[in-house]
Amino acid sequence: MKVVLRLLAGPAGAILLAFVLAAIAMLIAGVNPADGFYWLFRGSLGGRRPIAETLVQTTALLFPALGVSLAFRAGLFNIGAEGQLLMGGLLAGAVGAHFAGPQWLTVFVLLLIGMVGGGIWGGIAGWLRARFNASEIISTLMLNFVALSLAGYLVAGPLKSPLASGAETAPLLPNGWLPAFPSIGSISFGDTRLTISILIAIATAIVLRFVFTRTVFGYELRAAGEAPEAARRSGINMPRMTLLALTLSGAVAGLGGAAIVTGVLHRFNTSLSPGYGYTAIAVALVGDLNPLWVCVAAFGFGILEAGGLMMQANAGVPKDAIRVIEGLIILVLAARRYFATRATAAPI
Amino acid sequence: MSAGIALALTLLFLTLIKSVPIVFAALGGVISERSGVVNIGLEGMMTAGAFSAVIFTNLTGSPIVGLIAGIFFGAFLGFILGFAATFFKVDQIVAGVGINLVALGGAAFGLVLIFNQPGASPQVNQLGPGQLLPQITTGEAAFIVLGLLCAFGLNWFIYRTPWGLRIQACGENPRAVTDAGLDPLRLRLYSVIASGALAGLGGAFLSICEVNLYSDGMTAGRGFIALAAVIFGRWTPWGATGAAVFFGFFEALQYVLQGRISWLPSDAMQALPYLAALFAIAGLVGRVRAPAADGVPY
Repeated sequence: MKVVLRLLAGPAGAILLAFVLAAIAMLIAGVNPADGFYWLFRGSLGGRRPIAETLVQTTALLFPALGVSLAFRAGLFNIGAEGQLLMGGLLAGAVGAHFAGPQWLTVFVLLLIGMVGGGIWGGIAGWLRARFNASEIISTLMLNFVALSLAGYLVAGPLKSPLASGAETAPLLPNGWLPAFPSIGSISFGDTRLTISILIAIATAIVLRFVFTRTVFGYELRAAGEAPEAARRSGINMPRMTLLALTLSGAVAGLGGAAIVTGVLHRFNTSLSPGYGYTAIAVALVGDLNPLWVCVAAFGFGILEAGGLMMQANAGVPKDAIRVIEGLIILVLAARRYFATRATAAPI
Repeated sequence: MSAGIALALTLLFLTLIKSVPIVFAALGGVISERSGVVNIGLEGMMTAGAFSAVIFTNLTGSPIVGLIAGIFFGAFLGFILGFAATFFKVDQIVAGVGINLVALGGAAFGLVLIFNQPGASPQVNQLGPGQLLPQITTGEAAFIVLGLLCAFGLNWFIYRTPWGLRIQACGENPRAVTDAGLDPLRLRLYSVIASGALAGLGGAFLSICEVNLYSDGMTAGRGFIALAAVIFGRWTPWGATGAAVFFGFFEALQYVLQGRISWLPSDAMQALPYLAALFAIAGLVGRVRAPAADGVPY
C-alpha cells in the first residue's frame, strides 16, 4: 500500500493523472475519450510512419530535457532551454548554409557549433549568476525572449536566404544533413523524418548518466545542488560550478537545436521549436532528473506531441490541451523535493 | 522643434500605457513575495486575466464584466498557486512554471473551442474607447490612475496597517507569526490570491483596454519582466512601480524608434525591454536583500 502511494505521488501518479486529464479535456471538447485516445495512439504508434514521427518529437524533447536535468541537478533553475535550443539551431543553420565538407565531418562540426551556441546562451546566465548573483530564473527567461528577437532579426535580415519567400536561412547543403535512421530488417525509415539524431540523444543521456554517477565532476555537481553549503565548505568552487553547469546545460539544449536543423528542417527558422524548451521541464521532472528515465519520459511526451496533431485533425480535440496537461503534471510534481533549501539561491 | 516636442510627448504617453500591465503585475509580485511566496506564475495569471476578460466581454457585451472576470480568474490561479505553496509546501518555482503552461495552453485550447479559431479571438467591446488625449483613451487614462492608486494603497497597506505588517512578517519570519497566534499559511494564501488578482487586472488591460481582442502570447513575458521589476524595486511597492515604468519606457522606446533608425530593425528592438530587465538585475550586485523567508515553504 505504502509503495503504491509513493509511486502515485511521483511520476507514475503524474502519468495516470495525464490520462485522466486528457480524458477530461476530450469531454470538454465534446469528444468521446475512446475516440480521442484512439486517434492519439494511432497517430503516434499506429504504424511505421507514426512511430518515426513520435521518435522525431522524442528527440526534439530529449536534448533540452537532458540540459534542464543537468542544471536542476546542480540546483540551478534553467528555464531557458527554449532560447538555448534556438541559439544552437541558429548558429548551426548560419554556418551550415555555407559550410561543405565530407558528410560526417560537416554534421559533426554543425552539431558542435550548435553546442557552442546553446552553451554561450546558458553561459551568459551562468556568468550573471556567478559574478553578479543575478537569479538564473529571471535571466534565462529574459534570454529566451532576447534569443527569439535576435533570431527573428537575423533570419529576416542578414541571414535571410535570397531564394526563400519566408524568413529563414539558406538551406543546408546535403552534406550537412544527418543520415536517415538505419533500416531495421526490411523496415526502412528513408521516407520519414527520423534520423540518427535519436541515437545521439540517447548516447548523450548515457554519457550524462555516467558523468553524474561515476565522475568527480558529477559528484561535485550533485553536491552543489543537494547540499550547497556543505559543498562550498568542502572546497567546491561554487561560482565556477554555476558557470559550468549552466553552460553545459545550455550546450546540451543547443545540441538539440542543431539536431533539429541538421536532421529535420535542413535550414533554420524561428518556428524550429513550438515550445520544446518549456515542455522539456515537464519531461525532466517526470524523468526524475535521471537521464535514463528522462529518455522514457521524452518518449511519453513524444507520443503526446505526435499523436496530438492526429487527435486534433480527426477527433477535433485542440492539441493545445496537451500544453494544459503538461502544466498540470508539473504542478503535481512540484510537490516533490528537487532542491535543497532555497536560502542559498539568488534573490528573486 | 515642435516635432521634437510631439515625439517626446508620444514617448511619454506610450511609456505610461506600456507600463500599466507591468505595474499591476509587479505590485502583485511585491505582495506575494513580501508574504514569502515567489510568484513565477504572474505571466500565466496575466494570460488568464487577458483571456477571460475577452471571453466575458464577448458573452455579456460589457467590458466591465470582462474586467471583473479577468480579476477573478487571475485570483483563481493565484489561489491554486497559493494553496499548493502553503498547504502542500510544493516547490514554488516549479509550481509557477506549471501555472504558466496551464494558462497559456488553456487559453489556446479555449480559443479553438469557443471561437473555433486558433491564434486570436474575434474583436470585442473595448473598455473606455473614447480619446481623452491624442495618444490616450479614457480607459487607458483610468488604468494609469488606478495603477498609481494601487501602488499608493499597497504601500499604505504593507507599511501602515496591522495586516500589512503581519504579511511582511510572514515573508521574514513565519515562525514569529505563528508564535503571535496567527496562521502564516493563511496569510500567504490571501497574499498570493491578491497577487493573482492584480496580475489578472494587468492582463485584462492588455486585452480589452489597450486593444480589443485576445491573441496567443500577447502577454509576451510581461509577467517575467514584472518579477525583475520586483527585484529592481527592492520588494517595495513604489520601487517596483518605478522599475515597471522604467521597463515600460524601453517598450515604448521600441515603438517610437521603429522606422526612425534605419540600421536598427524592429525585430532587434523588440529585445530592448528584456535586455533592460537583464541588465537591471545584474547591476544590483550585493545590494539587494529578498525577504528572508521568500520562496521557503513553511
